[in-house]
Amino acid sequence: MNIEELMSEALREQAAEQPPPAPGLADRVLTVRRRRRTRRIASVAVAVAAVVTAAVGVPRLESGGHDVRPLGRVDPKPKAPTAAHPAQSPVRSLIAAGNTAMAAYYTQKTDWRTAHKGLRTRTYWLLDPKSGRYEKDTRWSWVAVAPGLRTAAVLEQHLPVRRIGLLDIASGEVERWIPVDQPVGGLEFSRNGTKLVATTYEENPDIVTRTGAEGIPVPVKSSRTGFYVFDVASGKGPWAAVGVQRDNQGNEINLRQDFEFCRDGRTVTGRQSGAPTVRFYDASGREVGVPDGERYNTVTAGLSPDGTRLAGEFAGKKWHTSSWILDPRTGKHLAEVRGQILLAWADDKSLIAWDIGEGDKNEFHNRLVLVTIGSDKEVPLSGFLRGTDGSAGRWEPVFAER
Amino acid sequence: MDAEGLESFRQFVAGRSAALLRTAVLLSGGDRHAGEDLLQGALAKVAGRWHRIDEPEAYVRQVLYRQQVSRWRLKWRRREVSVAHPPETGPPGTDTAAATDLRLVMREALSRLTARQRTVLVLRYFEDLPEADVARLLGCSVGTVRSTAHRSLARLRALAPELAALAPAAGERSSSRDYSPVEVRP
Repeated sequence: MNIEELMSEALREQAAEQPPPAPGLADRVLTVRRRRRTRRIASVAVAVAAVVTAAVGVPRLESGGHDVRPLGRVDPKPKAPTAAHPAQSPVRSLIAAGNTAMAAYYTQKTDWRTAHKGLRTRTYWLLDPKSGRYEKDTRWSWVAVAPGLRTAAVLEQHLPVRRIGLLDIASGEVERWIPVDQPVGGLEFSRNGTKLVATTYEENPDIVTRTGAEGIPVPVKSSRTGFYVFDVASGKGPWAAVGVQRDNQGNEINLRQDFEFCRDGRTVTGRQSGAPTVRFYDASGREVGVPDGERYNTVTAGLSPDGTRLAGEFAGKKWHTSSWILDPRTGKHLAEVRGQILLAWADDKSLIAWDIGEGDKNEFHNRLVLVTIGSDKEVPLSGFLRGTDGSAGRWEPVFAER
Repeated sequence: MDAEGLESFRQFVAGRSAALLRTAVLLSGGDRHAGEDLLQGALAKVAGRWHRIDEPEAYVRQVLYRQQVSRWRLKWRRREVSVAHPPETGPPGTDTAAATDLRLVMREALSRLTARQRTVLVLRYFEDLPEADVARLLGCSVGTVRSTAHRSLARLRALAPELAALAPAAGERSSSRDYSPVEVRP
């Protein structure tokens, strides 16, 4: 290793350790600026008076003196190192690539209370920013992590609940509670972390049912009632009543069918059984048109950070796994990348995905990988999941911008 | 700034401040508080010209770099630098205790450079910018960037003898210095 390489590594490591700034930075900046301007106007008045009386020069109002112009060619995002642990499953230490980190993961189990009805529960492991390791936290039934990995919005056990916690991940303490009139069962942050959409339910949305021995389906009825859109800084936001509509055959959506934010951070999207199945709402619950780039958005990873590409469905055949990358405006295929399910964009050209191993013939034997558009290379990020769908040994990642 | 400008400024800060702060802390030699002050100052400048800026991130970065250098010109007193503990684990097979120690030595040495020297190194080795871009960003010549980088590397070695054993950087190798064995004639 030469001195350049060591310096580069040392700088990247030091950068990766930095927690994001405390929320409300923009408002602090604007407040400071207002104060400075007030002071400057006062000093101008004094200076003008001085000119009149003593004929001295008026001081320059703009401080600094450097004429600063924007430059086109600056990498907008510093490259952060990839953190991979291909021998770990579930993982114990940080998994990250590009601007995205696995902020948490959870395991699920179902407690069958009758022959046909049970309750699915999640156990979360949250990334401890100090140690870079995932630590078990059994207090929460739902965790949504804000960009920057500093704050998480949490729900206590026994959903739906009547308050939302804003957790300081570093200290493990809830900094603030947001009380709600309508009980909440699910949460998601907007892309910039300033808003929170909370889906409201009358009953626990994690109740699961199974078909009886005679093959008769157990009736399913969703208790979804609507959503809140909260401003995270103030903890305030309106509730919108958006219930459940059955289709012509009387079918309903899943019991848990949470609302999500669109990329614009203003529009909320949710599913109904009746056509159109995917609908878009403003914060007051009024239906609105499809926002730019959202018409063909069906996969978890969604739009690329620059908004020019859309993660698409599985494109492979048999044991060849790959996925489509789409043009968000037209839905046409732009490229095919490796990966079974595209989970999150690491940067504008790379994604974190689930994929089976080379030559594997078991669709459940998958691991987290980093795939890149235009490359056949696949970088393993985690060890393989164990068991089949729903069994122990499987875990689900929660990603956030780091 | 009107309501629309305020909203877009808030969105920009919320979305990009984490990455910008990482750079600001590095420019400040690892001093978190100085990095926050630096970023806040740069954002305040940018807020005043928000409507006239096409590429806010590029603009903020340039203000950050130049502001850091001008702070050095004002001879701000360097604060005490706290060095964070290293992460317990890294990518498998690459991270040894010795490598971690060396990186910590490097951090400490970087924090003792002048702001200008450190800014040049951060731009070259963290932002991966070519010398010509560093020169444009800092408003100096390519020759100045090159000589500053060269002197900064020499200073790092002087500050931390552990770094002296490392191979020289590509730009440091000079054809006039020949380390090959000398043939001795009888």
